[in-house]
Amino acid sequence: MIEKTPDLIMETRDLTIRFGGHVAVDHVNLLVEPFVLKSIIGPNGAGKTTLFNLMTGQYKPSEGRVLLKGNDITHLSAVQRTRLGMGRSFQLTNIFPVLTVLENVRVAIQSRKSIGLNFWRNYLHFPGLEEEAYSILEDVLLDKKWASPASSLTHGEQRKLEIAILLALEPEILFLDEPTAGMSQEEVPAILEILQRIKDAKDRTMLLVEHKMDMIMTLSDTIAVLQDGKLIAEGDPEEIRKNKAVQEAYLGGGARRG
Amino acid sequence: MAGPTPVQIFHEEEKKRQYRSGTFFLKVGLLLLFLLVPVLFPAFKTIDLAMQIVLFAVLVASFDILLGYTGILSFGHGMFFGIGAYCVAFLIGKYGMPSYTNLALGFLIAAIVSAALALLISFLTLRVKTIFFAMITLAIAELAIILATKLTGFTGGEDGISLNTPGIFAVSFNMGDFMGLEITGRVFTYYFILFSCIALFLIMLRFTRSPLGRVLQAIRDNVQRAEALGYNTFLYQSISITFGCIMAALIGGLYAMWVGYVNPESSLGVLTIMLDVLLMVIIGGMGTLYGGIIGAAFLKITQTFLPDLQHLAMDLFPHAQLLHNVLERWLLLFGILFILVVIFFPKGVIGSVNEYLLQRKMAKPTISPSSFTPTPPGNRP
Repeated sequence: MIEKTPDLIMETRDLTIRFGGHVAVDHVNLLVEPFVLKSIIGPNGAGKTTLFNLMTGQYKPSEGRVLLKGNDITHLSAVQRTRLGMGRSFQLTNIFPVLTVLENVRVAIQSRKSIGLNFWRNYLHFPGLEEEAYSILEDVLLDKKWASPASSLTHGEQRKLEIAILLALEPEILFLDEPTAGMSQEEVPAILEILQRIKDAKDRTMLLVEHKMDMIMTLSDTIAVLQDGKLIAEGDPEEIRKNKAVQEAYLGGGARRG
Repeated sequence: MAGPTPVQIFHEEEKKRQYRSGTFFLKVGLLLLFLLVPVLFPAFKTIDLAMQIVLFAVLVASFDILLGYTGILSFGHGMFFGIGAYCVAFLIGKYGMPSYTNLALGFLIAAIVSAALALLISFLTLRVKTIFFAMITLAIAELAIILATKLTGFTGGEDGISLNTPGIFAVSFNMGDFMGLEITGRVFTYYFILFSCIALFLIMLRFTRSPLGRVLQAIRDNVQRAEALGYNTFLYQSISITFGCIMAALIGGLYAMWVGYVNPESSLGVLTIMLDVLLMVIIGGMGTLYGGIIGAAFLKITQTFLPDLQHLAMDLFPHAQLLHNVLERWLLLFGILFILVVIFFPKGVIGSVNEYLLQRKMAKPTISPSSFTPTPPGNRP
């Protein structure tokens, strides 16, 4: 019997994974309150993406548990967790290249509404699907490109489209793994604006892994800091900025790993 | 939301243009042409050519559902075509009398057998990667030919089966003249097959434009992403394969009705049927469905008339020996034509024309000129 912690949407208990002798995530207890934007930071190799993979089900932990709204989901697969409302974006762009931008989002909505197996009606005869897809594209500032094939978008636009596909699934928790990775400087503010909008809507919890410090400091409600797989600090941006251990980790980690 | 979105406006305009566009008139013209072939060109050679184009156009479309819409390369498609042909031949040729009931039963059995076999193959092989799926289906198709050849008692072996079509479809049936056209069993059979093929084509169009068809295209584009969206890709791929194979079997049955004869090579052959279908889908364009019409027309017309060029040249230039030598090897000319088509239409005729039209549409200032750059070639699987 697991004792429930009230008012938490997600929680990890002593979450640990070992790859051979290397402990990538080491007894992490992460608490996620609903409707906040929580960032996970740390030097390269600290285990941020691995922690994401454990929480969303890509990896199975060696030890410890993952709880969603107090229910143990440790043994559920990634697809099952998606159905429970966990949406995950990846560091590498993952879209449907030949389909149009609108169709990328529409197919995702179709999955949420479970009408994918219908083969006798015209797909356009499901009113609202395209409109909904379009309004999500407006949210991620991609509405002008709705008719273009996804492969013709710039890298930054493809990342936006990925977020749009995620939003179409209406997840309660969004896991964003470096949404600005590989993006040019000019494209970053747009992503910032999109994330700010989702946050302002206050109907989703967001977990964010990012390297751009200024972005994290402006967006985050709370920040968790990982180093060598261990959670070394947690708090709001101001507390983290002042935290000695964090400063140490970043200076030391940066110097050690070059 | 205030006012219609650009998406809605786009669809409204599409609807308004629907019956005025060039493609619409092209489709109507094509339909009229095939409807009038027995009237305008009553010679058997032209009717047969038209029928072969129709049958293969729809067969290519059913293959395109697998290859162009789902991203599955199957070399077993010709086998399903052959299974359909054999089922009909069994029912009205070898094991039954030519009657309408037996004919209908033949098609029904063709559909059931092909569905069962397609499901079995997809359960056994779909978990493996595309290239292995292609190899396994090729092996099964070869096995089917060997079985059809060796099981002489059951299938008639190399000699095949001759069949007689019942009632108004019979070769001997003749109703006399009607407005200058001799109404024979051939004519009835032609129209029966033409309308059946149109119906099958419309069913396939609807299938690809359904929510399910859209998921298939998503799977073709990126299997992992589709799975991450919560789609059971294995189920969707199995449905696609089964649907495509049932279509192929039904078309095979129609083919048997038309030629009145089946044997392992002409109905099941990997080289005779499968290779033609592959060439046709490449020429017409993958993932277009209509591409099959162009591909089938190109292949069947060149195969019929290129050999004739030789006789024409002999009549016109009786002394140009070099020309005769070249034209005698008409397959060489066919190869050159094929290479030209692939060079000038890298995505097939329909695919490349569609791309050009889309580019032109996107270049219009109303939808913002910078918003489109062509898809890099080779993006389709």
